[in-house]
Amino acid sequence: MLPYWTPVALSRDLAPLVVMPVVVDGAELALWRSASGRIAAWADRCPHRGMRLSHGFVRGEALSCIYHGWSYAQSGQCQRIPAHPDLEPPEAIRVPVHRAMESGGVIWVALAEPAALPPALAGLVPLRSVTLDAPFDPAAAGLAESGGAWRGTLAGVAVAVLVQPLPENRCVLHVLADGAATPAALVDASRGVETLRRQAEEALA
Amino acid sequence: MPVERFIIRGDLAAATFLPWVARHLLRLGLRGETQRSDALCVEMLVEGPADLIDAMEMGVSLGPIEAWVETIERLPLNRCGSA
Amino acid sequence: MTDPIRDEWYPVALVSQLGPEGRDTRLLGEPVRVAWHGGAITVTSGGRSLPSQQRYGHVWACPGTPQRPLFDIPEADQPGRRLVDVGLVRVKCSPLRAVENFLDIAHFPFVHTDILGAEPHTEVGRYDVAIREEVDEVWATKVHFYQPQAAKSAAGGITTEYMYRVPAPTVSILYKTCPPRPGEWDVITLFVQPLDEELCEVWPWMALFDDDTPMTDLIHFQQTIFLQDRSILENQLPHRLPLDPGLEIPTRADLTSVAYRRWLKRRGYTYGAQLVAA
Repeated sequence: MLPYWTPVALSRDLAPLVVMPVVVDGAELALWRSASGRIAAWADRCPHRGMRLSHGFVRGEALSCIYHGWSYAQSGQCQRIPAHPDLEPPEAIRVPVHRAMESGGVIWVALAEPAALPPALAGLVPLRSVTLDAPFDPAAAGLAESGGAWRGTLAGVAVAVLVQPLPENRCVLHVLADGAATPAALVDASRGVETLRRQAEEALA
Repeated sequence: MPVERFIIRGDLAAATFLPWVARHLLRLGLRGETQRSDALCVEMLVEGPADLIDAMEMGVSLGPIEAWVETIERLPLNRCGSA
Repeated sequence: MTDPIRDEWYPVALVSQLGPEGRDTRLLGEPVRVAWHGGAITVTSGGRSLPSQQRYGHVWACPGTPQRPLFDIPEADQPGRRLVDVGLVRVKCSPLRAVENFLDIAHFPFVHTDILGAEPHTEVGRYDVAIREEVDEVWATKVHFYQPQAAKSAAGGITTEYMYRVPAPTVSILYKTCPPRPGEWDVITLFVQPLDEELCEVWPWMALFDDDTPMTDLIHFQQTIFLQDRSILENQLPHRLPLDPGLEIPTRADLTSVAYRRWLKRRGYTYGAQLVAA
């Protein structure tokens, strides 16, 4: 467990009532957003019979497992077992919950108490996330580290690239771009992200 | 809250058995206490909601791989602990 | 010495779909070939001929030395039933998980929504489970569940009664209320072929009282159900079936699952099982 925030998704890619699988430091998590907009990152495994909670469904402020409908409140505590509707589940039945926060249009997760806040991303807007079947080499992309993100330009637009490592030398890049750029320039920058992915994967092949 | 005496019989000599049982009690948020144990029989009290006492029976009937639970006899007790 | 895993019978092909080219498949991690020789079907593995037989629409083979005959399904020979070869679904899961899921009713409202179950009818009432020592089989009886569309032949919601039977480690047989024929049971089976410990091919097969529904609809209905199950089976952790539930919370609704796992544990049937909770 490492004491830092890992970027796992762009905020806009996780709408209310949506759950998705994410990986943080090799740990498989279910990331979800409630009806009221609150986010949570949990162990991706229902305590009942081991089904992935990322296949579950969100109703209101609770996430339910798709297998038997066991539902869990924001705290991770089980609040309903449909096969036994009269049972009030004990506090002990709960899903391990991890720290999650939103900052700069990005969702961040930490498995241990981080020493610092996520990097400041003022003036930037979320562009896109892309998964690389290869490691990411910022220098090859002409980017340099500054304030906790890899920064530089893509297709002439100032960008910040956040790296979410995945197992087996894969990774996700979450890319933010200059908020003042024109829509056309942002389209070019988005294509630039795609080029970056292709180059990284070709370099590996 | 209902209280039951569990009389667990089987091949229970494995050192992992009693700690496993204690852990499973905690996982279900039940109160419990082992009153007697040997290689063939474990007697314990279990206190909590009826559905969770049922769940305790489910879990313990499988238990750790080193142990074999043949039967679990359940005796409901009143709150004073008498049968 | 006998090996409880190698000495079982396993399905390896559908007789009705075995063409002249035969079928190359796998059983317990080893290559197996099913082929016609003259008018007979043979099953070979690594140049060795395996004990085999044809029953319930399928070819059955035993990689070791059979210790008992193939289980009996008396209903298969009952006049008036339609025998349905559903075909195969490959699932990336332990063969034991496929069987366990088939024994489960509590998932109906969530996985087979508006077909085999629907909220708010989620409660699982008490039912009976026993290991019938005289035949060495797991039986669950008096299982009741409300179903919006219990079968292709069912017009509306009914409370269906079920019985489940596990006559072999990778086989489950389900008996359920038969809407057009009160007093009889429809028989739906799940024959599971273990390719390896985390990959299987599932062959559902049915013996129904239903003279009206077209065969393609019967097959499609069952395939729809099983494809819904597959999305569960390929996403359970750990991939193998835990015989130690130390990281799970089985409840009374899981009684059949628990009995099945106990039976596997006692028989030493561990192919596709996980022995220690992790």
